[in-house]
Amino acid sequence: MIKVLFFGPVAERVGTNALQVEFRPGMCLQDLYQQLQHSYPAAFEIVCFTAMNGEHVRDMQLPVADSSEVVFMSKFSGG
Amino acid sequence: MAEHGFKVAVRIQQEDFSQDEEISALRAKSQRMGGIATFIGCARDFSEGRSVSRISFDAYGSMAEAEMSKLRAEAIAKFGLLDARIVHRVGVVGAGEQIVFIATGAEHRAPALQACHWLIDELKQRVPIWKKEITPQGESWVTSHP
Repeated sequence: MIKVLFFGPVAERVGTNALQVEFRPGMCLQDLYQQLQHSYPAAFEIVCFTAMNGEHVRDMQLPVADSSEVVFMSKFSGG
Repeated sequence: MAEHGFKVAVRIQQEDFSQDEEISALRAKSQRMGGIATFIGCARDFSEGRSVSRISFDAYGSMAEAEMSKLRAEAIAKFGLLDARIVHRVGVVGAGEQIVFIATGAEHRAPALQACHWLIDELKQRVPIWKKEITPQGESWVTSHP
């Protein structure tokens, strides 16, 4: 399983802070993004950044390993 | 984990912080420090034309602390600092209260001031923290941060 986390405004639009998504061999971040975007279109309207296992990721073709932690995030507003 | 009785240099916490304690911890690192610059971000009671009573912060805590630690290390290397500290609060912060603290210490004032400015700008862009303004008219997530 892949652990997907949401925070702040994205979590509010998804309606939860965490989801478990079934791992499929060969899947990449873009596949996961599109799958969740289909289910939560309003939340993904504001998604700007992706992190995998605590690191910023820019290449959405990066493969997702089983048991990864993936976070789709909106623009930050700390400080 | 404390070092010499002081709190760690990079923290995310719910409780308020003391700038005196933070500056004391910074100064304890070196007596060669000739310049210390600080930035304190506070919760404004007015935003986008309406009163704000409180601000609620959500954070991807583990990544936020890791990014803040990276920022501190980058600032120390980039500006030749003797030390730097970054503290950010999460949870609910009342209007007028402190949100974020940055302190930079260097041999001279210029790198301390430049690093402090650089750190708060980078923090806003790179650290996964989100703020929600709580107003008498309702609550709304802040999506832009000039």
